[in-house]
Amino acid sequence: MKFEAKAVLLVVGVAAFMFLGTYFTMVVPLTDETLYTPTKDAKAYTELELKGKQIYQREGCWYCHTQQVRNLLEETYRYGMGEEETFKRFGVRALIQAPPSQPGEYVYDKPHLLGTRRVGPDLARVGGKYDNTWQLNHLRDPRSTSPGSIMPAYTWLFDQRGQPTQEAIALVAYLQKLGTNIKWREEGVEQVKKLQAKNLTPGEPRTLAAKEEQP
Amino acid sequence: MTIQHEDTSARWFIYTSIAFFLVTILVGLTMAVKFVYPDFLGGIPALGFGRIRVIHTNGVLFGWLLAANMGLAYYVVPRLAGTKLLSEKLGLITLAIWTFIILAAVVTFASGDTQAREYLELNWWLDVLVTIAWVLFAINIFGTIAKRKHQQMYVSLWYVMGTVFWTAILWIVGNLPVYSGVNDANLNWWFGHNAVGLIFTPMGVAMAYYFIQKATGNPLYSHKLSIIGFWTIAFLYIWNGAHHIIFGPIPTWLQTVAILFSVSLLIPVWTVITNFFGTLRGKWAQGNYVVKFLLAGTVFYLLTCFQGPMHSLRSVNQIVSKTDWIVGHAHMAVFGAFSFFAIAGIYYALPNILKRPVFSDKLGEWHFWLSFVGFLGFAVSLWIGGFIQGLQWMDHTISFLDTVKAMAPYYVVRMFSGILMVGAQLIFAYNVYKTVRSSTTEVQPALA
Repeated sequence: MKFEAKAVLLVVGVAAFMFLGTYFTMVVPLTDETLYTPTKDAKAYTELELKGKQIYQREGCWYCHTQQVRNLLEETYRYGMGEEETFKRFGVRALIQAPPSQPGEYVYDKPHLLGTRRVGPDLARVGGKYDNTWQLNHLRDPRSTSPGSIMPAYTWLFDQRGQPTQEAIALVAYLQKLGTNIKWREEGVEQVKKLQAKNLTPGEPRTLAAKEEQP
Repeated sequence: MTIQHEDTSARWFIYTSIAFFLVTILVGLTMAVKFVYPDFLGGIPALGFGRIRVIHTNGVLFGWLLAANMGLAYYVVPRLAGTKLLSEKLGLITLAIWTFIILAAVVTFASGDTQAREYLELNWWLDVLVTIAWVLFAINIFGTIAKRKHQQMYVSLWYVMGTVFWTAILWIVGNLPVYSGVNDANLNWWFGHNAVGLIFTPMGVAMAYYFIQKATGNPLYSHKLSIIGFWTIAFLYIWNGAHHIIFGPIPTWLQTVAILFSVSLLIPVWTVITNFFGTLRGKWAQGNYVVKFLLAGTVFYLLTCFQGPMHSLRSVNQIVSKTDWIVGHAHMAVFGAFSFFAIAGIYYALPNILKRPVFSDKLGEWHFWLSFVGFLGFAVSLWIGGFIQGLQWMDHTISFLDTVKAMAPYYVVRMFSGILMVGAQLIFAYNVYKTVRSSTTEVQPALA
């Protein structure tokens, strides 16, 4: 084959192969409405939360924290609510699983922050797990709340007296929003309470969302 | 064969890439120290982990590896085409833009200016500059090929031409900020995976195909295998992006497609590897550090591309995904395989460009062994630690904090291995500097 013929074959062939793979793995998913339809309880970010998301991006939080509870049993337990937490906050003793992440929760994320690496824990369900004071203390001095943590201290989000700046407040507002596009904490506790009211022992309590999500 | 190649663009691209290599792996080492001492260089926003990580990844990928490969392409393509480079001036303009992009990237990233999509973090105006620089590179490469004297299309030319095309499409489509949520993640990993698969892989393979043949003096083992390898890479890689989000919030069929194609990647990889080993035959033992870099690079390429398909399997992915294991895997591809190929190319090309031998072969040997041992310490510690952490994550009664604490010894080993890796590249830079500045009387290298 002549050089010119080969060069033409190369360009045409490479372009065709690239188009083929891109079409099926990139374009076809765009037509899947479950990927762009918000979940029932999904809300767009408030101005403060959006500012917090920008700080999360600026500081590269997403390089060490993923935002996706993978569809694995162990992750629904790890990122769910333990008995102590439910008792302290809701007066109920139960293990409540976190639902695996669903596409509809991310519709307002632009850019997405799914992440790829967990130097620290996943944050997809962190909203509501700790109070604001804990979050601020943790950002200012991670080892004060979590001994052994290797997270850097974000001292520049606080003034010289250690008071949070607007940036720290926005960042915490964003963190508290994460995972709340599904009301899994409230619904999980409610379900446990219902069972208890009927005097039934919740054997393995599950949230509604977790049940729906199992493929 | 009496063409006098000027090689100005090749030379200066290579020097610049080595400078960026040093700086950006020093940033990498700083990160490794932060894993052991989280307060190291603390309190300075521009040196925060999340800000320097992007300088390390983008700097090593685009400032060092791609720039080094562009420099080597300016060297290889004219020789394979049997003609001079279309325009040295255009090459130097490309270099000026490229250097500006990398310097601007460091400043913008340090100030927290990022688009927050992995490997696509550059601000939009820098994206535009990258596109312009790439078009200039493409003009020079295709222009040189167009006025070729040789009619044979050696496989390295296939790969360089393919890379010019793939990079352009990936870069432009990947940077489209049109989607949100899961679709944005899918696009991000379409780019992220293929940046490795269709930019660094074909460029690295192109260089290895050229320099293995030259450095060993052996003919190419099989032309047919090289063509099979090229077309299977072209067909199979593009389907793989979703294997970065297995068990994640994307459709199951998409994950399964990515897994099937990931496993199929064993075909092109083993094809290419067979060809490399075939071409290296008989030269394992007596090879100098150039051959050692090529041989070790080939072995690491084989291993990293065996890991990749295995990671995509659900049962394995469940354990290793999101852990430090993957960090070891990624460094085996970018450092162990493709950087080793580029280093070998530089050691081979530079004496031919400058018409004088490398300053010190002994330092070359040290460079190889420190890189090799340093990398193995880096990767093996992360593989062991990452795998253990992955298993710990599967037991939710072990707190996350405890799984972090369990990594401590591995992070220490990684840090010291990193010192070896950086030290090795300091030797590299010194050796290249002395070669360039040496006043040795001109000798025609044996292999031209």
